Amino acid sequence: MTAVRPRFDPVVHTPPRLQVCGLLAAVDSMDFAAVRDEVGVSDSVLSKHVRQLEDAGYVDVRKATRASRVRTTLALTPAGRSAFAAQVEEQRRIAGG
Amino acid sequence: MESDEHRMDSSAAAAQLAALRSDRAQLAERVVPPWWYDPCLGLVVFVLVAAISLRNAGWVYFAALCAGVLGLWALVSAYKRITGLWVSGLRRGRTRRVVRVWVPGYLAVVVAGLIADQEFGVRWAMVAAGAVVGVALTFLGRWWTRIYVAELREEL
Repeated sequence: MTAVRPRFDPVVHTPPRLQVCGLLAAVDSMDFAAVRDEVGVSDSVLSKHVRQLEDAGYVDVRKATRASRVRTTLALTPAGRSAFAAQVEEQRRIAGG
Repeated sequence: MESDEHRMDSSAAAAQLAALRSDRAQLAERVVPPWWYDPCLGLVVFVLVAAISLRNAGWVYFAALCAGVLGLWALVSAYKRITGLWVSGLRRGRTRRVVRVWVPGYLAVVVAGLIADQEFGVRWAMVAAGAVVGVALTFLGRWWTRIYVAELREEL
């Protein structure tokens, strides 16, 4: 098991984005709607935060059309996984445990 | 960087970590497949393995393979639709111990079936092998889910 170095990440540390990364880190991919329901924000708010994560290269966004409905799937990239793990370690360090 | 750190005091950091753990615990409820998922997965694997005994039956063999592959695709699609997520069975973490039981066990049973079929002419050997790995996968799938759910609830 390799130790993760604590690192503050200004993109990840904001609560909605931290929550999104926390969910995506535990799975391979998750529907936009499922993330929205778990985080408890509106579509527009989640879209804004997902776009910031995508711009940072932390989240991969895929759209697929089935039966004339667009299904958006989110997945954390390897860089996103590293950033999230480092941010969690940083918060553990700040929290003193 | 110093100003970044000052934006978050220890209580805020602890609160965010607690919120993340709470999210994971909530996610643990979502990842559990419906009761029929693991038995159906076992049935699909049974069909795919047992189909080998039909390899000389032409289109029947082809139809059995297609049914197995379509069944697998339908199960994955159903899981994604129901839970809204996908997680690989081969993911890193404590669930790897199930994979370490499944892969060698599957290979041992299938190879034994193939030897019995090819070398000793036991025509039903692959059907029996399929039944063994199908039933095993049903129980291993449940075990995998239990470990994954526990990991989500206990770890961050």
